[in-house]
Amino acid sequence: MNTETTRREVLKLAGYGSAASLLAPLLSQVAAHAAGDARAARKKVVFVMQCNGMSPAHVLPSGVQRPKSGKWANDKLEEVALKDRTLHAALEPLTPYKDRLALVGGLSGRIALSDHSANHGALGCYPANKGPMAATIDCALGAANPGIFPYVALGMAEKPDQTLNYQLSAAGPGKANPVQCNPELAFKALFGSVTGGNGRAAFDRRTNLLDFMADDVKRARGQLVGDERAKFDQYLEAFENLRDRQVRIDAIAGELKARAPKLDAQFAKPTETNRLEAQFEIAAAALITGLTNTVLLTSGGGGQHFPAFPELGIPVGGHHYGHGGGVPGKTYEECFVAVRQYHCKLIANLAKGLQSVNEGDGTMLDNTVIVYLSDSGDGHHPQLREWPVVLLGDLGGKLKTRGRYLQFPAYEAKAHRTMANLYCTLLHAVGKPTDKFGVPDPGLKEANQSGVVSELLG
Amino acid sequence: MTRAVWLSLLAVTPILAGREPPARVADPDGAPATQFVAAHCVKCHGPDKRAGGVRLDDLPADPTKAPDRWTAVRDQVRDGLMPPAKEPRPDAARARAVVAWVSEKSGGRADKAPNRGNLIPHELLFGKPARAADPPAPRVWRLNPEAYMGFVQGVARGKVNGLVQPFVLVPERGIRDFAGLYAIDEPSTEILIRNAEAIVEVQTAHELKDGKVLAKNGAVREFVALMDPKAEPTAQQLESAVQVQFQMALGRRATADEVERFGALYAKCAKTGDRPGAAKTVLQAVLLKTDALYRSELGKPDGQFGRRTLAATELAVAVSLALGHRRDPALTAAAAKGELTTREHVAAHVRRILADPKADTARLLGFFREFFEYGGAEDVFKDKPKAFVHQPRQLVADTDRLVLYVLAADRDVFRELLTTPKSFVNYATAKNKQKGADEPKPGVVLNPINNKGQSGVESVYGVETWEPVQPVTLPANTRLGILMQPSWLVAWSTNFDNDPVRRGRWVRERLLGGNVPDLPIGVVAQVPDDPHRTFRDRLTVTRAAQCWKCHQRMDELGLPFEQFDHFGRLRTAEPVLDPEATAKNVDKKGKPLGPVYRDAPLVTSGTVADSGDPALDGPVKDARELVTKLANSDRARQVFVRHAFRYYLGRNEALADAKALQDADRAFVESGGSFKALVVSLLTSDSFLYRTAPNPPAGATK
Repeated sequence: MNTETTRREVLKLAGYGSAASLLAPLLSQVAAHAAGDARAARKKVVFVMQCNGMSPAHVLPSGVQRPKSGKWANDKLEEVALKDRTLHAALEPLTPYKDRLALVGGLSGRIALSDHSANHGALGCYPANKGPMAATIDCALGAANPGIFPYVALGMAEKPDQTLNYQLSAAGPGKANPVQCNPELAFKALFGSVTGGNGRAAFDRRTNLLDFMADDVKRARGQLVGDERAKFDQYLEAFENLRDRQVRIDAIAGELKARAPKLDAQFAKPTETNRLEAQFEIAAAALITGLTNTVLLTSGGGGQHFPAFPELGIPVGGHHYGHGGGVPGKTYEECFVAVRQYHCKLIANLAKGLQSVNEGDGTMLDNTVIVYLSDSGDGHHPQLREWPVVLLGDLGGKLKTRGRYLQFPAYEAKAHRTMANLYCTLLHAVGKPTDKFGVPDPGLKEANQSGVVSELLG
Repeated sequence: MTRAVWLSLLAVTPILAGREPPARVADPDGAPATQFVAAHCVKCHGPDKRAGGVRLDDLPADPTKAPDRWTAVRDQVRDGLMPPAKEPRPDAARARAVVAWVSEKSGGRADKAPNRGNLIPHELLFGKPARAADPPAPRVWRLNPEAYMGFVQGVARGKVNGLVQPFVLVPERGIRDFAGLYAIDEPSTEILIRNAEAIVEVQTAHELKDGKVLAKNGAVREFVALMDPKAEPTAQQLESAVQVQFQMALGRRATADEVERFGALYAKCAKTGDRPGAAKTVLQAVLLKTDALYRSELGKPDGQFGRRTLAATELAVAVSLALGHRRDPALTAAAAKGELTTREHVAAHVRRILADPKADTARLLGFFREFFEYGGAEDVFKDKPKAFVHQPRQLVADTDRLVLYVLAADRDVFRELLTTPKSFVNYATAKNKQKGADEPKPGVVLNPINNKGQSGVESVYGVETWEPVQPVTLPANTRLGILMQPSWLVAWSTNFDNDPVRRGRWVRERLLGGNVPDLPIGVVAQVPDDPHRTFRDRLTVTRAAQCWKCHQRMDELGLPFEQFDHFGRLRTAEPVLDPEATAKNVDKKGKPLGPVYRDAPLVTSGTVADSGDPALDGPVKDARELVTKLANSDRARQVFVRHAFRYYLGRNEALADAKALQDADRAFVESGGSFKALVVSLLTSDSFLYRTAPNPPAGATK
């Protein structure tokens, strides 16, 4: 059997069809190798962040109605088992994973209140328009549970030539972590050093180059102070990190080379769906090969970036239907549902791909949680009194996500919980107990904004 | 606090490091700013009430001791947000004086972010003749995306395949390439390394034939000499290659120390036996040096007051990249010969480049695109109209040409841009190979099948037939200047409507030097969707008190442009739904036959208020009167100069830049409105040429 996995095969592996069975022997073999090492037990967290808000109605299972006033007033958690319910049409593609889902309503995030996008505040729980004030949860989780790449952020920007999106993720104060929006570059950054075919000499030359450049930047930096010096510090850090990573990738080069997806013409196609599918696929490969344990996948988002999806019959950006505009044949709500359905299909395929890889006593999906949310909370112009979240997977039994719809106490209630509590829960679940995250919401006088969401932590 | 204490406070902490006496006492009545706060703020922000958690009764008289609270007071007062509408209004002059005083006392430092430059009150910069002040601190300025491509063009003469843009600009409105905003992070570094590899492949392109190395097109002779896998290069060959790459990438020679270090890198890489690979690594490293990717503006001591002058090599890059995207060879040569050391040298080169039609002056048009932002027309999605062709790219191209036309004449540029009745209309050129010259042609040609029944792009301008000789003079009393170009009107429109709010905001910020706070969080800005009402009528939703405190700074400045529809077409009435006629529009069986519209009378009036220039304030009957007033306003022209400063110096202006701004404005006026004279003045100002010596870094090591 050809051990080089082609892009299309990996695509199929990630749930697109028959090749999953073709590849199963290879993957089982790989998993058997993996079973004995520490990687098997690593917890994997995937964020899927879609722009333009997530309607709270979309996370309601059949038989549950939103209050007529539009505002929840429950002072206690309300819970419904998903077993005998159907999912909203927007989430329908996730139905096969219903027993692994937690549909979460009622967690607020008003500290990040802003129109169109909470920017870094969505994953950081701090004000939306102050830039990267602190590490966002994807980077915090990645730092706590690092692979060779502590965190991988891949996405799709509004236009194909926008390579990097700096508005959603942050490694620390003032350190925006760009989302790589070009699939080809994403692939090269993750797999390029072992698939380039230049051999040992090229590897050594690159190591020498990185060392030389680090030294050269250090010399130039000596002339600068303060913020100006920090600019060169960042460049220096880049060379040092690349050098460090190069060594670690080298250690698993053989395995990576065998399992990296193969570049083909599909990567170069600029359509929205193609770009996004390629990124999901690269993310799957990065997780499966153990390059990283934390992935952020973004679809638009940050500022006012709402890609159009002409392939789905929606040739206009989300701002248009965010303001109630329809397109021929679709109302604005039908646009929202169609776009969400599409993203749910990608999520389901990703889950299927992870499920097909054995890990420990189960599958890779068993040790994963996919966190699906919007950078704009509950709408195009959100209120953020509730920030709908879909959780898929229980992270090796660390999360209680098995087939539940949970409506947390309303914003005014004493028992109200926030997105910060959810992120603390995730940090606890990956073995980095943290009880405070982001900036507290001053509007919440009584609710406990620190600690975990105990109803979700296993 | 007594007035005497107030004055003495100012006297012991003068602004601008002892060079300037305080501009004036905050309040013409002699009452200090703390009294203003006591009178207008403390009622709600006192020890008991503390509205919004803010207490101001204990505000120290020295703003530097409570900068956050004082800045908050300043911004609220300046933007008219406080005191709230239900409270007595403060006297406008007193309020302005307080704003100015807080800005002065807090050091007059510029905000780093784009679109925040107007936070320094205009009066502090232009209110009285300025004197020289401390130059800014040394800095490095990362290349912008276009300058990076210019750099690539400089080092790889031919086309480089697979090159990816490593740099992006912040997603902000307007002028965005600010030195303080950009560094090079890890993902960008990865792209830079990959690009450097691709560039060096082009530079060293060769083939081996009969054991000989033959250079291919575009390769550099000194580099190809190192590509023989069997021959060990001499030290001289290696140094020569390093020097050539330094000259191409950095515009300077490598120092002896650098030659030695690059030689060591070669030796280390060549150990594996791959000599050509080692040489390529050395060449790549030069392309990744900080001074290849950053504009260095550190300066060298010039012996005056600890001041530093930009070094000649720094000046060569700074001037080149202020005007275009590539290093100007003559500037590089002048720097090497020691002929770029004085203000006059710089002025002569700027004039030379601006006068040379072949020189790279791409950033001239670039400024006007960022200032007016008419290019945004291409990003506004609109349904395809049935009656005419909407082609935003052509509209933008027409406006580009108009700007270049005005710049070519270089007379009265500001006034011309705002009030010229001329326009390019669906204009393009094509090369006539036989004649060897460009010939005019329509930009968008109608396709008889696809465009059946549609009128062409010309109709958007109100012109019936395409003219080969352009610009044309548009029909009288229709439109004037850039703000009535269809491109600008479309750029500041929405999918279905005009956008008088953002048009007004543009005028407030870009021509009046005012500020509008960002949309308060959680506010859903939606104009009611009532098709039977005019947009102006629907927009009255913003007159509610909580909206109007900000919208009063925008709406009335944007409403005169209701003279045009959202495609930029002149109109005399606004079609609105006629509900009664629609109800009656049914067939014999009572089935509706569709909406019926009626023409609602058009109102194009507006008001200029609180502009800072009393001569400007007052009602205007339409957009033409508005732009004509603005075009003749000193304040609007000075605000334009402030924006040019931001663009060419890559930062917001600080109080210390007052002299550079006033000099530039004077040069602009005295030259009869020559934009080139304005640019020469900016690029020879102290703010551009000088830096202040930095304090040595604590514990800095090499």
